[in-house]
Amino acid sequence: MSRSSEAAALKRKRPDSSTQGLVDAELVVLNVVKSKKNQGVWVADVKKEANIAPALVDKCLTSLVKKNLIKKVPSIQNKAKKYYMAVEYEPSEELTGGAWYSEGKLDKEFITVLRETCLKVIGMMKVATVEGIHDFLKKRKVVECCTSQQVGEILNSMVLDDSIIEVKSTGLGEYHSIPIGSVCYRIAVGVTSGPKTIGPMASIPCGACPRISVCTPDGIISPKTCVYFTKWLDIEF
Amino acid sequence: MVSPHGIKLAVYLISSYFGELNAKVCDCLLRRGTQTLHQVVSSTELSRKNVKNCLLVLIHHNCVQAFAIRQPGGFGEEAKIITQYMALFDNIIHKLRFPKFIEIVSEELGKECEEILEWLLQHGRLSLSQIIVKYKQASKQVGMTCHFPGDSSADAAQDSFNRLVNARFVERCPAPDPLLEPPAEEETAAKKRGAKSAKIQAQTMEQQALAAAAPMESMRFLVENIWNDSVEKADKRTTDVKCGMKRKQEDLESNTKDPATGEKEVLWRANFEEFIRRLRHKACVANVKVRVNNDAAIVLAATLELSRHSETKLRIDNSVPQSINAIYDEVIKREGGLGMDLERIRASLDDLGCEAPLMEIDETYSVDLKNIIEQARIEEVESIVLKRYGREAYRMFRLLSKADRLVETDKISDTTFVEKKDAVKILFKLWKDDYLEMKKVIARAPKQSEFILWKINKQSLWEHILDEMYHAALNLRLRTTHEKEQEKEILQMPKDKLVGELGNKYMRLRKVCIVLESSLMNLDDSLMLFHDF
Ligand code: SF4
Repeated sequence: MSRSSEAAALKRKRPDSSTQGLVDAELVVLNVVKSKKNQGVWVADVKKEANIAPALVDKCLTSLVKKNLIKKVPSIQNKAKKYYMAVEYEPSEELTGGAWYSEGKLDKEFITVLRETCLKVIGMMKVATVEGIHDFLKKRKVVECCTSQQVGEILNSMVLDDSIIEVKSTGLGEYHSIPIGSVCYRIAVGVTSGPKTIGPMASIPCGACPRISVCTPDGIISPKTCVYFTKWLDIEF
Repeated sequence: MVSPHGIKLAVYLISSYFGELNAKVCDCLLRRGTQTLHQVVSSTELSRKNVKNCLLVLIHHNCVQAFAIRQPGGFGEEAKIITQYMALFDNIIHKLRFPKFIEIVSEELGKECEEILEWLLQHGRLSLSQIIVKYKQASKQVGMTCHFPGDSSADAAQDSFNRLVNARFVERCPAPDPLLEPPAEEETAAKKRGAKSAKIQAQTMEQQALAAAAPMESMRFLVENIWNDSVEKADKRTTDVKCGMKRKQEDLESNTKDPATGEKEVLWRANFEEFIRRLRHKACVANVKVRVNNDAAIVLAATLELSRHSETKLRIDNSVPQSINAIYDEVIKREGGLGMDLERIRASLDDLGCEAPLMEIDETYSVDLKNIIEQARIEEVESIVLKRYGREAYRMFRLLSKADRLVETDKISDTTFVEKKDAVKILFKLWKDDYLEMKKVIARAPKQSEFILWKINKQSLWEHILDEMYHAALNLRLRTTHEKEQEKEILQMPKDKLVGELGNKYMRLRKVCIVLESSLMNLDDSLMLFHDF
C-alpha cells in the first residue's frame, strides 16, 4: 500500500475513542507500529516509513507510550535495538526467542519447575493427555501463565529424556476416560529417567572414550597404558 | 565390507589361537580379499610350504574356504582350474562366542552333548568315529565316569551326537573346494541348487562359492549309521592325537580318509548359523522383556520356539506365522506362562506390534523381529551418546532418531530446551565424530540466511558404531593379555606360595581378568546385534 492510500484508508475509518485527541503525526506513527502486529518495529524503520521528521517521530513514540497505546519490547536478536509494538499484541517468538526465553535467555529455572510439576501430575494421574495436565495445572494454580502448547512442548522433551513415554489411548482400563486413539503420557517403566539399559559398549571405558580414534595397540595412546582402564579396573575393587 | 577394526580383531584372535604365521595369512586374505595360493605367498613373503600348512589349518577350523574357478585358456590352450582362498570373517569372530555356544548346548542337551560340542569347537572338524573314540577315552578317565557310565559308550556317544545333529547344532562340513562354473553355465547350476541361489545374479563370487560348498539341505543333518569296525580302526589311529588349541598339520589330513578302505569319512562341525539364530532370538526376547513387559517376552519366546524350525535363513525379518492355538500351547509350557489365557496372549501379541487378523478362520501371527533388532540397536547407540556426550546431546540425538529426517538447528534447540549456542556446539561435535549428517541450506528470500539441517543416517552410523565396538573388543583383549603378562611370575607360582602380598596381587589379577572378560562377553552381544542379527 502506498502512503496516500494508507492515509485515505485511515480517514475512512471511524475514529475510535482511544485515538481521539491524537495529532496527525501521532496517528501516522501509531498506524505504522500497529501494521507490524506482533513483529514489532525498530525505531529506525518507523522513521523511514512514517516519512516525518525523525525528531517528531521520537516525540510521538514517547507520547504514544505514555498514552498506553504502544509499548517498548526487547528483542533477542539484537538487544541494543529499540522495538515498539501496539499494546494489544504480545511479542512474537522471533523477538522473544519463544515462550521459554526470558530477557533473551533460556529460562532454565522455569523449565525445570514445569518439568518436575508435570512429572508429579502424571505420576498422580497415571495417564494423562496434554489438556488434562494443563487443566490440572490451571485449576490448582501450580504454574501461572503457561499455555497448553507449552505443556505439550515440555512433555515432548520429557519423552526425549525417556522419563515419560507417549502412548495411544485404548479406551480401556486406565484409559477409560480418554478417547480412543488420543495421545497421552505415562511414567516410563524405570523410575529414573534415561535409557533403561546401559549398553555393554557404554559400560566400558572405550565406549565413552573421546580418544578412541587415535588409540592403537602399540601407540602412545594404547589399551596397555590407558589411564581410563587403570581407573576403571581400580574402582571396581 | 569388513570394518578395519573388525579385521584387526580377527587377526588378533587367529594369532592367539593358531600363532603368528596363521595370523599373517589370515590378515592377507582379509585385507586383500580372495586370493590364490601364489598370491598369498607373494604378499606374505612366507614360504609356499608354510602358507599351505596355514591354509590347511585355517580351513580345518572353518576360518577359510577354498573354491576353484575355471579360467578359459586363450589360443587353443586348455582351460585352467584355479583354486582360490577366502577368509570367513564371521567364523573367525565366532571364536569369541564359543563359551556362549557351549552354554546353549549344556542348558538344552546336557553335559555329554556339551562335551562333544567342545571337542568339535576345539578341533574344528571331526568324524563321528573320532568322536566316539574320544568319548570312550573320556569315559575311561577317572572322575568322568559319572556322566559316561557303562560299557555301551559307543552307543551313548552316537546317541548324544544324534541329539546334537537333530537340534541342528552340528552339521556336515562343506565341500573342500567346489568348482564354480563360469557364468554361461550358471543358470543350470542355479536350478539344481534350488531357491537358495535363485538370486544368483546379485551374488558375489564368494557367496556363490559358499552356496556351492554347502551340503544339500537334505544331507546337512543326516547321520548315517556307523559300523563298529570302522570305529575300531579309528580308535587305533586317533589314540595318540592330543587335544589342544594349537593342533598342527600332521593330524589334520589323517582325519579325512579312512586308510583301510580309502573311503572318505563324513566330517562334522558346529553349525554356527543355528547358534547365532538362538542368540538372536534370545536377544529379541531380552529386549522385549525390558522394553515392553514380561508377558510379551513369554509370548515372543514361545512364538520363536515354534518359528525356529521353519526359518530358512538367519536374518528373517518376521517370524514364521503361527496360529494362536499353537502359540497358546507353547506359552503354557513355559515358566510364567501357565496362567495366561487367550485374551492375555492376544494382548501381548498386540503389544508386540502384531496386527490381529481380519478373519477369525485363520488366526495366525508373525512378529516383526527386524523392528525389535532395530530398537535394540538404537537403544545401544543412545546409551553411548549419553555416556560420551551428556544428557543434552542424548535428548537431541533421540529427537533426530525419532524424526528420522533432516531437522533444523533452531528447531532442535527449541524442542530439546538446549540453549541455541550450546546446541550448535553439541551438534557439531556429534557431526565431527560421524554420528550425524549435516546439510547447509541457503535461503534467499525474504533475506539471505543460512540454515543448518541435521540428520542421522542409520546405515552408516551402525557401521561406524560396529567398527568402534570391534576396536573396543580388541582393546579389552589386549588389556587382558597385558595384565596377565605383567603378573607372569605370579601365574607360574604354585598356589600354596601365594600368601600375603603375593596373594593379594593374585586376587587382584583374578578380579581384573573377570571384569575384562565378562565385559568382553557382554560387548560381544552388541557385536552380534550390529553384525549378525
Ligand atoms: S583403551 Fe583407553 S584410550 Fe583406548 S579407546 Fe579405550 S579408553 Fe580410550
